[in-house]
Amino acid sequence: MKRLNPAYLFVAPAFLLAAVFILWPIVQSGWMSLHDWTIGEDSHKWLGFGNYTELFGDSRFWNALKVTLIYAVFVVAGQVAIGLALAQWLRRTTWYTMLLRSAFFFPTIASLAVTGIIWKFLLDPQVGLVDGWLGKAGISAQAWLQDTHLALPALIVVGIWKNFGFSMIVLLAGVQGVRKELLEAATLDGAGAIARFRHVTLPALRPAILFTVVIGTVNALQLFDLTYVMTDGGPLFHTESIVMYLYQRGFVDFRLGYASAIAWVLFLIIIAVSVVQLRMLRYRDDD
Amino acid sequence: MTTELTTDVASLPAGTPSWVLPVLRSARSTARVLAWVVLAIAALATVVPFLWMLGVAFRTPADLYADPSRIWPDHWTFAGFHAVFTQLPFLRLAVNSVVFAGGTTVLLLLIDSLCAYALARLRFRGQNLVFWTILLTLMVPFQVMLIPLFLTVFHLGWLNTFQGLIVPRSVSALGIFMLRQFFIKIPRELDEAAKMDGAGPLRIYWQIILPLARPALASLFVIQFMALWNDFLWPLVITSDTDMRTLPSALTLFSSTSGVDHAALMAGAAISLAPLAIAFLLAQRFFTEGIAATGIK
Amino acid sequence: MKTHVNVAAAAVAAAGLLAAAGCSSSSSSSPSGSGGSVVKLSVLTGFTGPDGPSYQALVSQFNASHPNIKVTMDIQPWDAIGQKLPSEWATGQGPDLATPNFDPGVIFTYIKTNSVLPLDSAVGAGDTQINSSAFPSSVTKAFTVDGHLYAVPANLASVALYYNKTMFTAAGITDAPKTSDEFVADVKKLTLGGANPTQYGISLADHQTIQMWPILQWMNGGDIVGADGCATVNSAASVQALSTWAGLVQSDHVSPVGQTGADADTLFSAKKAAMELNGPWAADGFRKAGIDLGIAPVPVGSAGPVTVASTVPMMVAKNTKHKAEALEFLSWWTGKTAQASFSKQSGFPPARTDVTVSDPNTAVFAQALPNARLYLAGLPSSSQIDSDVYTPMLGQLTRGADAQKSADAAAKAINALTGCKS
Repeated sequence: MKRLNPAYLFVAPAFLLAAVFILWPIVQSGWMSLHDWTIGEDSHKWLGFGNYTELFGDSRFWNALKVTLIYAVFVVAGQVAIGLALAQWLRRTTWYTMLLRSAFFFPTIASLAVTGIIWKFLLDPQVGLVDGWLGKAGISAQAWLQDTHLALPALIVVGIWKNFGFSMIVLLAGVQGVRKELLEAATLDGAGAIARFRHVTLPALRPAILFTVVIGTVNALQLFDLTYVMTDGGPLFHTESIVMYLYQRGFVDFRLGYASAIAWVLFLIIIAVSVVQLRMLRYRDDD
Repeated sequence: MTTELTTDVASLPAGTPSWVLPVLRSARSTARVLAWVVLAIAALATVVPFLWMLGVAFRTPADLYADPSRIWPDHWTFAGFHAVFTQLPFLRLAVNSVVFAGGTTVLLLLIDSLCAYALARLRFRGQNLVFWTILLTLMVPFQVMLIPLFLTVFHLGWLNTFQGLIVPRSVSALGIFMLRQFFIKIPRELDEAAKMDGAGPLRIYWQIILPLARPALASLFVIQFMALWNDFLWPLVITSDTDMRTLPSALTLFSSTSGVDHAALMAGAAISLAPLAIAFLLAQRFFTEGIAATGIK
Repeated sequence: MKTHVNVAAAAVAAAGLLAAAGCSSSSSSSPSGSGGSVVKLSVLTGFTGPDGPSYQALVSQFNASHPNIKVTMDIQPWDAIGQKLPSEWATGQGPDLATPNFDPGVIFTYIKTNSVLPLDSAVGAGDTQINSSAFPSSVTKAFTVDGHLYAVPANLASVALYYNKTMFTAAGITDAPKTSDEFVADVKKLTLGGANPTQYGISLADHQTIQMWPILQWMNGGDIVGADGCATVNSAASVQALSTWAGLVQSDHVSPVGQTGADADTLFSAKKAAMELNGPWAADGFRKAGIDLGIAPVPVGSAGPVTVASTVPMMVAKNTKHKAEALEFLSWWTGKTAQASFSKQSGFPPARTDVTVSDPNTAVFAQALPNARLYLAGLPSSSQIDSDVYTPMLGQLTRGADAQKSADAAAKAINALTGCKS
């Protein structure tokens, strides 16, 4: 009698929960995306790919896609770069590095809603802290969240502020794990600090960097709470992300089928982006 | 902290005058001090928004509007905290939050670590399928899963129950991947040694892998606990009984299009943040143990 | 090992929790019993913010005077309600009564999905009936679909002109503006500081707010959508009003651009704007912020006195197990006693035209009601028109777009949404 591979028992709970409570709802939403679906209606009109073709010609969707991609690229790049620099700099454990690390990690603790509310107030041109302090430095006040050119950059800065501490902590574990022997060997070979970083630390960090980039991107592409609280997609749709648009169509206009179609397109985009990232960061040759 | 830049004589090009090295050394010290100052300012800048929030919790509206960019209150008041405690069944909400966030996180750590261990250490058919399935779960925004998920929980009869709150959230792809990355790093020699003593995979998991994974587990605990503690929408959707509400939903009580009670809002936010800050500070010990100390020989 | 024990203990605790919690479900209404047992009703509303306690007080009053009914009011933000209410009502769950949204246009969706009860059976002139004839006619009209009344007003408000008396005195203006021309003149006079004003004449908001710009159009005889569902936003009167005020914002900097209602309130509270159009809920907050507050009716334009009214619909779930009690609650809520008491407590005008208001501050709002119009009344596509067309149009206008062109584009979009064929 063949024994069951014990591995299956290990993964069973996680797999089951994921299948029932996450994947099945995703499939259901896919089903909804093929209909004109309003919750509570007795019957839902079958549209086939009608929602998707409508989406293809929807300029507001393409705008949302552009906004989301710009946000994701800059926030992930920013949070990983800053997180990496800080992880490297603060890799020794002393009372002051612990203090600094805690300070940098703190924004991760706050909820997105509270973060949005605080920053909305801080960035207010008439009564906010940022413009108040800039004014003291002689720079004129900017309407950060009301100006069509400044709103998305401001949002990106807040996104980086919220996340760089998390990246730092993840990368810190990686940096601390770099084997001392390798670093010592490199020093003996005459490698300076920057060269050591490039040739020893960075390659050893690849799994950690991969992890934080993929997770960071997946999160950033689903931007909703921050922009909902801070700008409501404005000014004039300049910060409207895909999920914001999805929310508008699904829960304000009650067109859940169309919203599900948007969600599925986003889903496929995220998968594609993640696959590309996994390929790039896994199979890149060592220097 | 030692400087990144070497000041070894050997690293300088031959023929450099002898006064160069002391100058370089003091320049680098200044640079070092400057770097630390910049870091300290950056850390302060990171934390200033929270200090401001805390300040607002103690300010009267008149004080706030007179100079909103000031952090320190001019006239202290407890009206904000008073509003929070009188308008909300605060203890009940806090207990519900602890049960939901704590219960789910503990269950999640167990389920995630089991799965991560299998993915990291054991070979089995369908490995890739499991990996990708788990990864896929991260990629769909909650807003769109909300209603189908509600219907699923409804059909299970779990609406308005604690199991309905906890079980669907007890698996986290993030956790599985974090732990998997961590487990991969643990040297296989430890496993081999245990196997030679006759240990099966479960014992290896329980007695060897898990204890070594303490830093990762602690980090994951803090991150997941925080996310669940701050989760506003999920408990709201699953519970209709106001007795089962969690803290975040109650805090939305203080703002609306018809006005914001800033002091109460920030007081509520500060109160909600406090346990997380404490949990974080306590778990700091685990963050700093680092992988280096736990078994790489 | 320590971790081993901790994890095991935690797992046991979690399991125990689940087991114990398995029995902790509670339903929102007790089984409808025979006479003598208390009927539990649940109401879901979106009245967060400083108003909340006034509504809770009303509920407590009802419970005190109706010993056989116990009402619990759950207050959640509007968007959360929008996300959970449809599914809850569709699965037979959910509250017995609810205010689905602050926008009266939302009733169409819930009627379409057959989630709410018509209230006609409870309508009448008696004390325990819904006296719909006492509601302002615009409200009754907005809540009547296909000849059936589906909602009652949970509240009713109008918009008046708040002004900062100190700033007015400093600028040499003795009274609040009474005519449209005085309004424009005062707004310019009260804007100080040139291109980067230190003081704004008025604090205008264009999104996430009680709508202010429609008032400016109505004052001049313009409108957004006509009674036939066809757009009138590009009529001569509308465009004139829009371009006048957009010009004031753009060239004379009388107001910041792109404010939400909350931003506008903050600006006024921070004593950086001299005037604001707002509803009765704001008065208390402004006073607490230390402003020497004046409240005046909206200035009168060529079209006569006009202002915007807002009302929140309260509806009954189709699946409620306690239809009679729910209707009794609505009748009481809109009755004379409750409305008089609510008005006194909250500063809102009563939702009935036959209740007199003694408080002079509330009186301003109550007196404006006969001339108050609902924004985008009676249109099923009102929320889409608001968020997809009208609000973006305002955003463009205040940033320099040509008024006629923007209005024409908006009219086209509105007609597409309402199905108007012109």
